Amino acid sequence: MATKERKYSLTKDAFNRLIANKLAMIGLIVVALLILIALIGPFITPYDFLSQDLMSRNQPPTSLHWFGTDDLGRDVLSRVIYGARTAVLVAFSVTILSFIIGTVLGSLAGYLGGKFDSFVSWLIDITMSIPSLLLVIVINVSLKPTLVNWMDAQFMATHDEFWRNTIWVDFAIVFGSLALIKWPKAARIIRGQILSIRNKNYVMAAKAIGVPTSRILTAYVIPNAIGPIIVSFSATLGEAMVLESSFSFLGVGVRPPIPSWGNMISDGLRVWQLYPHVLAAPALVLAIATIAFSFLGDGLNDALNPRQWK
Amino acid sequence: MEVKNLETRFKVRSGYVYAVNGVSFSLGKAEMLGVVGESGCGKSVTMMSLIKLLPPAAQITNGSVKLDGVELTKLSKKDLNAVRGSKVGMIFQDPMTSLNPFLKIGLQLSEGLVYHKGMSMADALKRSAAYLDMVGISNSAHRLNEYPHQLSGGMRQRVMIAMALLSEPGLVIADEPTTALDVTIQAQIVELVKELRKELNTSIIWITHDLSLLAGMVDRIMVMYGGAIVEEAVRGEIYKDPRHPYTIGLLNSIPRLSADTGKRLSTIGGAPPNLFMKPTGCPFAPRCRFRMDRCEKELPVLETVPGAAPDSGHRIACWADVRDNK
Repeated sequence: MATKERKYSLTKDAFNRLIANKLAMIGLIVVALLILIALIGPFITPYDFLSQDLMSRNQPPTSLHWFGTDDLGRDVLSRVIYGARTAVLVAFSVTILSFIIGTVLGSLAGYLGGKFDSFVSWLIDITMSIPSLLLVIVINVSLKPTLVNWMDAQFMATHDEFWRNTIWVDFAIVFGSLALIKWPKAARIIRGQILSIRNKNYVMAAKAIGVPTSRILTAYVIPNAIGPIIVSFSATLGEAMVLESSFSFLGVGVRPPIPSWGNMISDGLRVWQLYPHVLAAPALVLAIATIAFSFLGDGLNDALNPRQWK
Repeated sequence: MEVKNLETRFKVRSGYVYAVNGVSFSLGKAEMLGVVGESGCGKSVTMMSLIKLLPPAAQITNGSVKLDGVELTKLSKKDLNAVRGSKVGMIFQDPMTSLNPFLKIGLQLSEGLVYHKGMSMADALKRSAAYLDMVGISNSAHRLNEYPHQLSGGMRQRVMIAMALLSEPGLVIADEPTTALDVTIQAQIVELVKELRKELNTSIIWITHDLSLLAGMVDRIMVMYGGAIVEEAVRGEIYKDPRHPYTIGLLNSIPRLSADTGKRLSTIGGAPPNLFMKPTGCPFAPRCRFRMDRCEKELPVLETVPGAAPDSGHRIACWADVRDNK
């Protein structure tokens, strides 16, 4: 044969469809850029995010301070870049954490069925029925001061530097409480996927030639289930980012002086009529990041959904 | 293969559905058995019960299945997998959904060989290619590298047949393998199975709802209704001298080219019974022309037809003698 035949592969096909989708590519590039900035943040920030310059407060954007300075004379660009670190860290931690919980509970519920499935479904329903805003606020408000006070007491008693740093407590509680409201969605999607694929004919056919259960799970069930899970993973990343900003805005998330887009927006809101750039910078970046995640999610959905294959 | 008094039921919200109620039959080496009945008569569930390929809600409550002297109903999951992989092959109804869309044909075919025959992947692939040739797929080496969606329905069914035969099983269960295919492909598949059977010397159980399909193919025919065998005989006998009212109804409802035009196709009135309760009388009684009082009270047993040809193995489960008032 002279003509070279086109090689087919499902992942490659999906990738080609993703590449062909302009919006999804824009989303992918922005998201990749965001992650890159978060990773190399400390090397590219022009100033330290904490250093104040009280002589040049609230300056509009200039060539020295591209996004201007805030009411303490801190460089807004540097703070936005550090905010990206916070946002990406929270988004990935929360999403990975909630998908670990969701995968374990959801796949076991879907595969085992019976009482365990009823229990997990009940847990999902209960968790989803509690207003998430309320739940996160309650957890943060009740746990954080208690823990921080306890750590202060430990420091007083032992004088061990370890108890001095409470920033990671802040983060850990934010991760935990956000994962707590995000896992049911992941568990529900995974359970549904496993349930529907478990009864597919090809699983039956594989059983009929004696393929062991472990191999059926890894080669038959998981690859067929992965599409919607990837899509939901990407959507959850965006949602977690917005949630973190919302809670930081309300003062129950990441707390100053650690920059988060949410607490920067909150700061900017107080002075926005006089110095709109302090509000505009983090708000715009947050909006762009959210839209990018949503574009990417839609694109992945189109690319991985077999019903839309051409 | 020897099946005795097999019973399978499904657990449902409001109790049980008794899908298989005391089925006994035997199958000789290299014999081809046709199993006929309408949808919901328990023919598929019976055959799936043989190798316990059942949904979790189903349970086998009674009976024994012996294959080469091994009791299959009591095997551990692992041993059962080994039997499925090496001694019994299965061809499914719907080739379009019976192949994993994420695995290449070759990998999927080789799976059983690698796990149960201890073959290396390369050997298994070589053998898969040989079997693809045998089931009439051209360019087989190349096909091994393709995904299911690149094949047509008829080709996929050929792949499924190759998959069932690969491990050289003594028994192949074909569950309506031609139902999802169009008539020309159907004829090709039937021819293929006939040829392969001669070549490989396997026993075949062919499940279908189309009595006419079996005419030129099987050795023996088993007619099922309401989860039980109602008539059984060698092929010719069923067509020549059917004794059970249900079999007669099935035969009359086959469309014929020679029939008068304008005449309606004869049908069997009514619908198959629901099996929420174990039948106490003949399950076919409500739809039967020959119904007697006894039919509703006593479950007929499968007995040799009096006066049947000696080697016909003709058995029916019916109280009436249909020859009295045909």
